[in-house]
Amino acid sequence: MQHLLSMILFLPLLVAFTMGIFRVSIETLRMVTFGSSLMVLLFAVVVTSYFNVEGGMQFVHNSSWISHYGINYSIGLDAISLLLLLLIALLMPLIFLAIWEEQRKGYFYNLLLLQAGISGVIMAQDLILFYLFWESMLLPIFIMIGSYGYGMRHFNAMKIIIMTVFGSMSMLLAIIYLGYTHYTTVGFWSFELSNLAQLAFDSKTSILLAGAFLLAFAIKIPLFGFHTWMAPAYSSSPTAIVVVLSAIMAKLGVYGLYRFGFTLFEIPLGFYTPYVILLCLIGIVFYSIHAIMQRDLKRIFAFSSGAHLSLITLGLFMTNIYAWSGGLYLLATHAIASAGIFLMIGMLGRRTQNIQIAHLGGIASIAPRFAFFFAFFALAITGVPGTGGFVAELLIIVGAFKYHFWVGVVAAMTMLGAILFIFWTLQRTLFGTTQEVTKHFGDLSAIEIGILTPLVIILLITGIFPSLLLDFFDASLSTNLEAFQGGVK
Amino acid sequence: MEALLSLIVILPFLSATILGISYLIDSKKNLSNTYYATIALTTPAIVTLLSFVLAFEISTMPHDTPLYAHLFDWIKVGQFHIEMRFMLDRLSMIMVGLVSFVGTLIHIYAVGYMQDDEGFGKFFAYFNFFLGSMLLLVVASNPIIMFIGWELVGLASYLLIGFYHKVSSNITAANKAFIVNRVGDFGFIIALSVLFIALEGKGFDFEAIKEGIEGLSSSTLSFVGALLFVGAMGKSAQIPLYVWLPDAMAGPTPVSALIHAATMVTAGVYMVARFGFLYNEIPHIGEFIAYIGAFSALMAALMASFERDIKKILAYSTMSQLGYMFIAVGLGAYGAGIFHLFTHAFFKALLFMGAGAVIIALHHEQDIFKMGNLRTFLPKTFITMLIATLAITSIPPFAGFFSKEAIINHAFLTQHYTLWIIAITTAFLTAYYMFRLIFVVFFAHSTKTYPHLIPLGKMIIYPLIVLAIGSATVGFLGIGHGFAHFVALPDRATPAPTHLLEYGLMAFNPLIAVGGIALAYRLFGTNPKPSKANIPIKALFIHKFYVDALYDRLFVSTLRSLSLFFDRVVDAKIIDGFLGLLTGGYRHLGVKLVSLQNGTVKTYATYIIFSVSLMSIALIYILEAQ
Repeated sequence: MQHLLSMILFLPLLVAFTMGIFRVSIETLRMVTFGSSLMVLLFAVVVTSYFNVEGGMQFVHNSSWISHYGINYSIGLDAISLLLLLLIALLMPLIFLAIWEEQRKGYFYNLLLLQAGISGVIMAQDLILFYLFWESMLLPIFIMIGSYGYGMRHFNAMKIIIMTVFGSMSMLLAIIYLGYTHYTTVGFWSFELSNLAQLAFDSKTSILLAGAFLLAFAIKIPLFGFHTWMAPAYSSSPTAIVVVLSAIMAKLGVYGLYRFGFTLFEIPLGFYTPYVILLCLIGIVFYSIHAIMQRDLKRIFAFSSGAHLSLITLGLFMTNIYAWSGGLYLLATHAIASAGIFLMIGMLGRRTQNIQIAHLGGIASIAPRFAFFFAFFALAITGVPGTGGFVAELLIIVGAFKYHFWVGVVAAMTMLGAILFIFWTLQRTLFGTTQEVTKHFGDLSAIEIGILTPLVIILLITGIFPSLLLDFFDASLSTNLEAFQGGVK
Repeated sequence: MEALLSLIVILPFLSATILGISYLIDSKKNLSNTYYATIALTTPAIVTLLSFVLAFEISTMPHDTPLYAHLFDWIKVGQFHIEMRFMLDRLSMIMVGLVSFVGTLIHIYAVGYMQDDEGFGKFFAYFNFFLGSMLLLVVASNPIIMFIGWELVGLASYLLIGFYHKVSSNITAANKAFIVNRVGDFGFIIALSVLFIALEGKGFDFEAIKEGIEGLSSSTLSFVGALLFVGAMGKSAQIPLYVWLPDAMAGPTPVSALIHAATMVTAGVYMVARFGFLYNEIPHIGEFIAYIGAFSALMAALMASFERDIKKILAYSTMSQLGYMFIAVGLGAYGAGIFHLFTHAFFKALLFMGAGAVIIALHHEQDIFKMGNLRTFLPKTFITMLIATLAITSIPPFAGFFSKEAIINHAFLTQHYTLWIIAITTAFLTAYYMFRLIFVVFFAHSTKTYPHLIPLGKMIIYPLIVLAIGSATVGFLGIGHGFAHFVALPDRATPAPTHLLEYGLMAFNPLIAVGGIALAYRLFGTNPKPSKANIPIKALFIHKFYVDALYDRLFVSTLRSLSLFFDRVVDAKIIDGFLGLLTGGYRHLGVKLVSLQNGTVKTYATYIIFSVSLMSIALIYILEAQ
């Protein structure tokens, strides 16, 4: 049991290296990668079944790595990280199925590395380890956009890497400073989260340190003002990468804030709270309006992602139980819905070679199944009742009104935000008469339906029976929230 | 009994799912219309049956003991404890019975109407889905679950308005409906959140709210009441959020009958009645609601008087009648408002279905001025529509007489004379525009013939007859305030009229209506001509007060320009411009440094001499210091 997490973490890496050394054929590669992603999913399910809802951090494993500087291989899971782990474990097999026809081997290697990096970020309890995975998950993205992307892919790959690395550098400096302070005050080096959380700083230093972390996460999310890498990166990325970017990577920014920001810097984050909330509120409105006139499906939903990420971050910073539960719930349900929509944009792109909205239309009349699934995911993103997004937005809005009346009003605008562009997008993509590129549009195949159906079912279950999932992390959230509020007081 | 109550909501969703999946799987169209129709019709029929059983149960119980069915805990986070729980009291019982009964008739009609449509299965999947959502809205025991139903009926309405999706303008209409409704819902959700936070910890079921609001300040309640009504404005098409309703006629006619006349659009009235206990605390907001209702009624009647599309005339008429209902519930006469909702469902559904029959028979012609003399060709449609028209123009003893009379007189008796005058004027206009329709479609051009008329099937005619019987008779339920006493809503007290006044008012309303009919006959009885926009005031009515153009300018264009501004200026110039300065500075520095490394020996020699001398000087200083 103890090594289950390590297996989840290293299986994709191991597969990637073995396959790479033996230079296997593409057929073998796709079978083995798909198999390994199923294994990881199985492990993740096993972990979940042994998971104790009341138990806090579990499956902890800690062994010394670079002992001189107190850097440890330290991993563990609590309910929130387990949720993220399940998301990535579930999505990877679907992504591998979606790229089944792909002939370029690099796709598979990079995705394996990406999965390992993301799992590492989710599990790491040591800040250096965390940083290592945090950066390493960027590399496959960079390579994939640069080599297999579309449009101005080189420029856009550079843009995403420069902007995000700029943020992580500031975080690295802060991490090293934390470790060094531990050395000077306690007497030995340590980067263990639980140790560093004990350190006390004067208010100026801690505000600076918190700011350094915040910058890294704000760029990753991205909050308003740090977002200009987002739309270009989305539009240049291959489908598989967009799915991961939107469904998982963006959420890791929020996760980082929750795990490290809120554990290390309870009080100084309070200093930033009004500004972050302001940026989130601007983001909700700005991204939604921005999306209206976009012409490329990926860019439209990139901005939609941005708006929802702002809402999730807003939920986190309002620090009451409604907003936190809602934020976490949205994190999960938006991951599923946006994975669905981007997978479908990929399927659409394979059929039409064109995702410019002006060239689409009429799909509903010749491919009703495609239209159904596409409309379902789009509506799930707008938070239609019956899908998980509604529950999440409802909780966040209630939490926002508890926090402050006007914050509540702007948060409620999220109900208007998404519909501004989604319905127009649906109209021009699915309805009306067919055009040149959609004239011979084939409906979804059985495999494609197989990929999308689990996502639909999850969205429906989370929408109709929200208690199932909410109760699962309720204990974790309440404990952390109390701890946090205790810290602030 | 609880199980039956749950089934009422669950069954339609279940059959919608079965129909939807069948339709999606059946890509080769092997399944027959009979398969879909059987499933689609069984459900509302069973639901109607169940609702009658439950109605019997409820009417034997005292009015303040509703029936509950608890399904499961929906959300339990902090104090936010929402149960999936249904409540059947007399109000929701009336609504359930109405929705399922009229719904069943319209389902039957739709089987006939949609027969040749390739999306037959899909249509009924949506139709059953709508039915389930509407019933959920009605039986919800707390406002959050009600809101879920509220949003889902909006979704069903979107899907059905855009049912003929190959025509892009239909989708535009569907989008408009959904977006305008969401604007209303934006108000609704704010109201619910504020109410919840104000009552935090006291529970959020209707009965808990009823007890909880006693401790709340009047300003909070006014705020909540006003914003809840914003939701109602959207759903029930009142000023200023009515613009979607006329466009919603793009959907198939059964949709207009079921959703945009008989049931969904009345949800706003139902909601205000449901929150009657709250509105009783804030009568000034109630008055505001009544005025909005009155102006909507008048404005819609004016627009209907100049419209030439048969369905849009009826759409405006719906908006107008909803206005009456809001006058009633706004002034605290909830029983009267719900009674008008009840009778209206019969005659308005009938009018739409009759209009649909005419449209089908004439190969999808909707312009009334291209019709005429149809009473000889479509006698059954004519008779039933005439009954419905007499009902809506409140000619005794048809249904509308009793319900509308109660509302108009209530305005008079509570001394809201402005409202009364508007209501009376609207009643006159109603008689005018409805009989304009009847005369133009069924009487005028008495020599006109239709060689290619499509015969109407039984599925289309029978529901018309049932509804006609209803339109003629259900009014009697209202005699002596019987209906209002039965629903037992918290009506605000009204001064009792003297007998003379009561009879006077009772006679006055039909007289006004007769005046309207006479005018319509004079203008359109034999040789009708469409109105021309020859004077400004007429142009104003014909162009629907220019509200659509105004909204387009105000919101749509603004948002689009803003979106472009964000893209081209904020992102590209400001943010990336700033980042560009950073990277650009870095690059400039690089370029400067590169120029040092120019490959000429002379330059390098200079560096060497320069740096060696610098180092020597430094060395001297250091040595001296020691």
